Amino acid sequence: MSESAQTVSASATTLMRVALRLLWRDWRGGELRLLLLAMVMAVTSVSGIALFTDRLERALVQESATMLAADRVLSGRQQPPREWLQEAAQRGLATAEVQAFASMVFSDQGNLLVAAKAVSEAYPLRGELRVSDQPFGAAYTDNDGPARGEVWVESRVLPGLGIDVGDTLYVGDGEFVVSRVLVQEPDRQQGGMMDNAGPRVLMHLDDVPVTNIIQPGSRVSYRYLFAGELAALDVYADWVREQSDGDFRLRDVRDESQEVSEALARGESFLLLGSLFAVLLAGIAIALTARRYSERHFDYAAIMKTLGCTSNQISAIYFGILLSLLIIAVVVGSLLGWLVHEGILILLQTVIPIALPAASLTPFWLGALTAFICLFAFAMPPLLALKHTSPLRVLRKDLVDAPLSTALPYVFGIAGALVLIVWYSQDLLISVILVGAVAGVALLLSAMSYLLLRTGSAAGMRAGSAWMLAMSAVRRRRRQSVLQVLVFSLTIMSLLILALLRTDLINDWQAQLPEDTPNHFMMNISDSQVAGMQTFLQENEVDANPFYPMVSAGLLTVNGAPAPHPWDDDDDEQGRSTMTERSGDNDRDADADRQDTEAGGADATDRPQRVENRQVTWTAQLPPDNEVVAGSWWAEQSIPGRVSVERDYAERIDVNLGDELVFRVNEQEVTAIVDNMRTVRWDNMQPNFFFIFSPGTLDHLGATYLSTLLLEGQEKLLLNDLLRQFPTIVVLEVDALIEQIQSIIAQVSSAIELIAGLVLIAGALVLLSCVNATLDERFRENAILRTLGAGRKLIMTSLLIEFAFIGLLAGVIATVGAELSLYYLQSEVFQQEFALHYWVWIAGPLAGTVIIAGLGFAATRKVVNSSPLAVLRQLSA
Amino acid sequence: MTAMIEARHLSKQVATSEGQLVILKDISLSIDAAEAVAIVGVSGSGKSTLLGLMAGLDSASGGDMLLDGQNLSTMDEEERAQLRGRSVGFVFQSFQLLPSLTALENVMLPIELKNDRDARQKAANLLQRVGLESRLQHYPNQLSGGEQQRVAIARAFASQAKILFADEPTGNLDAATGARVIDLLFSLNAEFGTTLVLVTHDDRLAQRCGRMVRLVAGEITEDVSVDVAANVGDAAHV
Repeated sequence: MSESAQTVSASATTLMRVALRLLWRDWRGGELRLLLLAMVMAVTSVSGIALFTDRLERALVQESATMLAADRVLSGRQQPPREWLQEAAQRGLATAEVQAFASMVFSDQGNLLVAAKAVSEAYPLRGELRVSDQPFGAAYTDNDGPARGEVWVESRVLPGLGIDVGDTLYVGDGEFVVSRVLVQEPDRQQGGMMDNAGPRVLMHLDDVPVTNIIQPGSRVSYRYLFAGELAALDVYADWVREQSDGDFRLRDVRDESQEVSEALARGESFLLLGSLFAVLLAGIAIALTARRYSERHFDYAAIMKTLGCTSNQISAIYFGILLSLLIIAVVVGSLLGWLVHEGILILLQTVIPIALPAASLTPFWLGALTAFICLFAFAMPPLLALKHTSPLRVLRKDLVDAPLSTALPYVFGIAGALVLIVWYSQDLLISVILVGAVAGVALLLSAMSYLLLRTGSAAGMRAGSAWMLAMSAVRRRRRQSVLQVLVFSLTIMSLLILALLRTDLINDWQAQLPEDTPNHFMMNISDSQVAGMQTFLQENEVDANPFYPMVSAGLLTVNGAPAPHPWDDDDDEQGRSTMTERSGDNDRDADADRQDTEAGGADATDRPQRVENRQVTWTAQLPPDNEVVAGSWWAEQSIPGRVSVERDYAERIDVNLGDELVFRVNEQEVTAIVDNMRTVRWDNMQPNFFFIFSPGTLDHLGATYLSTLLLEGQEKLLLNDLLRQFPTIVVLEVDALIEQIQSIIAQVSSAIELIAGLVLIAGALVLLSCVNATLDERFRENAILRTLGAGRKLIMTSLLIEFAFIGLLAGVIATVGAELSLYYLQSEVFQQEFALHYWVWIAGPLAGTVIIAGLGFAATRKVVNSSPLAVLRQLSA
Repeated sequence: MTAMIEARHLSKQVATSEGQLVILKDISLSIDAAEAVAIVGVSGSGKSTLLGLMAGLDSASGGDMLLDGQNLSTMDEEERAQLRGRSVGFVFQSFQLLPSLTALENVMLPIELKNDRDARQKAANLLQRVGLESRLQHYPNQLSGGEQQRVAIARAFASQAKILFADEPTGNLDAATGARVIDLLFSLNAEFGTTLVLVTHDDRLAQRCGRMVRLVAGEITEDVSVDVAANVGDAAHV
């Protein structure tokens, strides 16, 4: 017993030595290069992409945390229990407290509506407070916040009140010294109405009681800020949810900016899809090269068996080879992955302004695990099949079945691909779409391969001999031909999908926020101020944009029945507030349900009559980025009493063309007929409206106006003059937000380009391995043909025709498959409108024909160029 | 003297699209240790199949095959492989060297598989013995046919096999080279005291063995010692 155990253990090292020797020789002989390259490719793309997204995501989370001034924010319309703060502190989290409210502030010279914010000493937990000692002066960081009895104010407050730094300002009953000019606060954009009411006045939390401003029923946004370890935050978040009964909302940055999170989510989906394609293609390349490698090793296995190797020892040797390959691939691939991601970072230096946090080890594990799965699913089955090689092969090759004729490798390959798809996407939908596409292509192929054989032979009869030779080659290698078409079409399909998605995504983003996107909202403009403001803008050479009249309207009835509440079944959708809605918060009815969004308070489900107030407008012209999808836009001379409804909103409240809607506007009822439905680009950061009325419907109901401005750099100083001249208007600055979104989009776009490049390399690898897989047989056949007198030209023409034919088929199938997949991907995953890409229907098949013919011809040309005798001698040896 | 190789009523059939094809029928044969036996016959007579069965590379359809006292018919492929590793060496018509290993490594392989730590030295000695001491680091495709076969012979003796099976060892070589290779094979065989089974269609080569077995259409038609074979060989052809 012990003797045999000893023998076995000694054998293991021997076998490993043999494996390493074979590995080394095969590597030097070039046999393993493609296989290793494919595995390295898989690891590189996974670890490189994962590293990049890992660090980018950490950076974005960090950057976004500064947008909240914390990692998490708990907010509510009432003060959350104090114990919750203590609980958080006990769990090792840093905490701070904020109260935000709109208030009139006074000086001896005037008064001004401001967005007041009282903060505890620890504020901000993330990000910086930037201040200066004079209006528009040089900024420096001061994270201590205002001391008691002091306030920090935004520059615009000073001209608005006619005071200077060091002067006194009154908030309610409190008297404060203006000690600093507030230049920047991290969470300036986050408070909705409370933060948009006017310029900021920042004060100490302990001073709030002195002001006597907060009375029962006052509208105050109470916020607890938390920062700390992610795990502790998550545990605390769960604890809060258990306690809160939904009265308070705990948010992180993803909840804050829909524009940012949508761009990110799409970008991540694309990166994921891209790396999945790269890995699957690398997987196919691995399977093909491993298969060829193992075919070339049947004889090895047979010889080793005659030398006394048992099946298990053969398995052990090839397992050793694979294991060594795996280790090399993981090491080299991880290293390359690191370089790739460093490369991306260097490329993106200009668009990623912040220092990225160090990467975690996770991407390397991902890479290694991927390589492991690829290896087991794609490379292991053909290599382990070698153990079934009959030793008799050394005597009678013709009598022995190749051990690869079983379906096992396919089963393993498909299972491996499925595991990878589900694991990567973490998303059943993407998985189903991808698997569906692949299954569709496979089905199409079976049908086409049948046709291919029929038409191939029929056409061959009529055509010249090169054509006949090519077609008979396709027919003869029927299984291989079908496999080649399958692999080529999958590869081309992946590339087409990514190329088209990439173009559509980037175009879409560029359309979302073009360079000249206005970055300031002007609101609360009275009718009488419009002309004066237009003159002001003209004098200062600033382009004016349309002034939209805006009133708050609540929908009461639809065709006489009470209007259904649009967000009853999906609270998350409340996040869909447009810039208009957010900016319009300040003049919204106090009892509007939408206040829940900014205050995060209790959902008022027990209210008997819930009327949702929306900011609505009227206009004769269809606003840009709006598209009428039902009915038609009203003519220049329109009839009053018509309304245009945003399509999705109309669906939610079950409204159709011709329905009669009754609104409450400033305590009056207004009736309008639904004239058309529109789609709206909600993410374009521009004034967007659910309801647009025809001119003459609401004109008499006292609207304020809303407009936008593009102000960059020094132009921002104009705001001061503007506010001095029109002190009652409110300016909302979204330039920082737009810049942030544009920068994220630029980052994601660059990453997308890179991924597309990686997939292209993976695709090329697959094509190359696929062509190489038939090389031995081609050598033999063409040597025989040439021995029998076939000319070089004939053989070369036939090769060209053969590959062009296969490429054309693959191109057509790939185009169909790509469009089908894109239809589902765009409508279900990327939330884009799908449109057929007509040029692809020509480009796809053409590219397939040219690329495959070129590649196949280049790879097999040496078949014709080598001497037939040498070939035959080498192959028979 | 105990039989090193013993076939008892051995038969082999394979299924083809046209029904069962009988390749060997009722072969009974006994070969003693250190005996040199030539199996001759025309192409398709079943020589190589018989060699495969005797060496345990294939399993018979019927009958028993005993090698070194062990019944191959009752062993599975794993056990047969172990037996081959212990007792059997091969020389093939097409050399069957591993093309990605050097001459030295090819010879080392069976020694290493026996966990012998001196594999390198023993292999080098054997290659020197077959006159290839200057070719240790050459790959098979850098060697001539005769040299490759000499490497194969060195490999066959490397495992210190008791039985050596040679399948048309000169089939791919010219006459002069073939003769030198055969000389080498026989001298090593004598030196190591190995049992030799040589399959050939070349009667002159067969006459160098002590005994000749002739196969015709899967049956033994002759089993004679070499001296007799020299006399009756021509008669058998009539």
